[in-house]
Amino acid sequence: MNNIPLEYYIALSGILFTIGTLGVILRRNAIIVFMSLEIMLNSVNLAFISFARYLGDTSGEIFVFFVMAVAAAESAIGLAIILALFRKKQTIYVDEVNVLKH
Amino acid sequence: MNIHLIAFIVLGILAIASAIGTIATKHPIYSAMSLIVHFFALSALYLTLQSPFVAVLQILVYAGAIMVLVVFVIMLLNLNEDEKQTIRIQSRNSFGIVLAAIFFIMIVTFIMSNPLNQPNSTNVYNLFTAQSLGSVLFTKDLVAFEIVGILLLSAIVGAIVMAKKKLIN
Amino acid sequence: MTITQSYLNNLMASVGYFAPEIAIVVTFIVAILFDLMFKKSKNIAAYISIIGLIITGFILSGNIGISKSLFDGLIVVDPYSTFFKFLFLITTILIMVMSLSYKELYDNNRKVGEYYSMLVGITFGMFLLASAVNLITIYLSIEILSLSSYVLAGYTKEIRRASEASLKYVIYGSLSSGIMVYGMSLLYGATMTLDVAKINVAILSGHVELFPIIIGGLMILVGFGYKMSAVPFHYWTPDVYEGAPITITSYLSVASKAAGFAVFIRFFKDLYLLPATSDINIWNTISNFHWQTIVAVLSVLTMTVGNFVALWQENVKRLLAYSSIAHAGYILMAVVVMTNVGITSILLYFVFYMIMNLGAFFVAQLFANKIGSDDLKDYIGLGYRSPVLAVLMTVFLISLTGLPPTAGFIGKFYIFTAVLDKGFVWLAVIGVLNSVVSLFYYAKIFRNMFLRSVADDTKNNFKFSAPAFPLSIAYVLAFATILFGLYFSPILNWAENSVTMFK
Repeated sequence: MNNIPLEYYIALSGILFTIGTLGVILRRNAIIVFMSLEIMLNSVNLAFISFARYLGDTSGEIFVFFVMAVAAAESAIGLAIILALFRKKQTIYVDEVNVLKH
Repeated sequence: MNIHLIAFIVLGILAIASAIGTIATKHPIYSAMSLIVHFFALSALYLTLQSPFVAVLQILVYAGAIMVLVVFVIMLLNLNEDEKQTIRIQSRNSFGIVLAAIFFIMIVTFIMSNPLNQPNSTNVYNLFTAQSLGSVLFTKDLVAFEIVGILLLSAIVGAIVMAKKKLIN
Repeated sequence: MTITQSYLNNLMASVGYFAPEIAIVVTFIVAILFDLMFKKSKNIAAYISIIGLIITGFILSGNIGISKSLFDGLIVVDPYSTFFKFLFLITTILIMVMSLSYKELYDNNRKVGEYYSMLVGITFGMFLLASAVNLITIYLSIEILSLSSYVLAGYTKEIRRASEASLKYVIYGSLSSGIMVYGMSLLYGATMTLDVAKINVAILSGHVELFPIIIGGLMILVGFGYKMSAVPFHYWTPDVYEGAPITITSYLSVASKAAGFAVFIRFFKDLYLLPATSDINIWNTISNFHWQTIVAVLSVLTMTVGNFVALWQENVKRLLAYSSIAHAGYILMAVVVMTNVGITSILLYFVFYMIMNLGAFFVAQLFANKIGSDDLKDYIGLGYRSPVLAVLMTVFLISLTGLPPTAGFIGKFYIFTAVLDKGFVWLAVIGVLNSVVSLFYYAKIFRNMFLRSVADDTKNNFKFSAPAFPLSIAYVLAFATILFGLYFSPILNWAENSVTMFK
């Protein structure tokens, strides 16, 4: 019934993963960086679910639950850190975080 | 051209476009809106993969919980100034672009070179229901589930530590 | 029903061996609750955590010598993981004791209960990581470890460099864990299982595509390399190590790194290696892909970059950060070999590295308590102002360089022996040259302490020492450093008995 090849889904997931990575690396705004991280994790979820569906195996879907839980925890901590930094410095731009020199 | 392929193409383009929108718009709030569209597109894609339970969770967890948090923080910080330039190519960034390009090439090669395991396109609708997933999650992976509890507990403690104004006795 | 029943039986059979982890979880929760209930006593969480971890140590000693798969293959208990668990426990307890006398942490009447309870949480993550043999548990335990580390790195958030360090850490950390989990999805797609041992079986059966397995392995290597702070995944290390509270810096440089190595060695040994262990070509499950070369390149890059960049550092914390990168490079040399001898030398090295590195950071912390700075230029004349601490620091620096008669020498000696044993002469030569380079920057600290004249301004000229309790800990560490340089056979025997992994 569903005759879309698995490769299409994996290709889509790879493209989304690359977009997410680019967002993390290129953007300076820390909040957008965290949203890009969510895109990366979602592309992972897409890959897991398509593998699970085409292999007919549940453990891939189970992994997705854990990735979701971790994504929620990670964004909570990340946003809390952004908040702490903003209180101190009134900026959330990764570049302007420069007391620590390279 | 069947209906599944059309649905896949439409949703895929929507997902890619909203992902690009997330990383390319100037103001975080536009990014957040774009990301919500992205989550809905992915959720629909999960439906085409016969995984209704995960599709529902996707909306609940990502669009419901995480995005509310993100939007809340954006509103709380109330940033008026926009970034000067959205995407700037610098020496530091060129390293990142190379890295992303490597990923992309790797993944494309992976798809081209490789038929994977031939998918057994059986109907898996009964496999990915809440009932069957739950019975796996609470038998085989029960301990992993409990570990997630500890993970969330330490995340809560950590988030409170960082977000509190002052940590004073 | 019968299936559920069999899972239940499995669960009941396994839970006894899981007791150390359960004890840690109980400690974690009790520490949080008591800290909230007894607001008057500042350090109650610290005392509960230390007591709980000591009890955990006793429970853990019941697992010595046991080799068993638990919970349907989610985690295993084996001598290898038990060795690392003891290492984590001792490190955590030492760090907690050291933190009790850390001035910067207690400044501004800061509440410290969460600091100690989160250290317990990290310990739980590392315990799991040392015994994880399933992609789910590997991912979850790495995340428990990371999430708490992000917060602890920025715990003194009123200090700007700390919250900046925290932000850098969380962004780079989430990026690398995202890459790692994508690699895991590729492994899953190619082999249809999340169990590391079953993936190995699938690879050996020859019916799977090798390309996704190689790419997936490389992407997972990014996640592990980040934890080990191996070059080129090290760029977070100097900033985070400089910005974080110094106790957390030393914790990350020892325990978190050891956890990264523990899972790295187990994962690659279980996944990509042939089960036969005595063969020289044990790396070659996938015949046309040279994992060994990749790890060798990583090792050379890591120690060379770490040592050479350390030469230019003007901040002691940053210098020790680069030195810890270099030490990861030495340890990676033994991973290249991956024989039992090699893994024994890694375990041995980690014990000694823990003692000397914690010692060096601890003395730096005691200095910082008094002079309020980590800059190398403020160390001028400390040899005269605080001779005892300066001599202790010198002992640790000698050991970090790897000169006899200290523990560091023994550790390096065994690593080089393992490397030469398998004929990697070029690698050993590079390692020795790197050790020579490291002598220069360790000597720089020594020179500033003893050989440069004290500046004339009187306000910075007071003599000082440390309070008796912290000082005695530093003495113990220095004594252990020298003792293990002369008499180390118990540790060696223990390490030799610990290289058996559950398969």
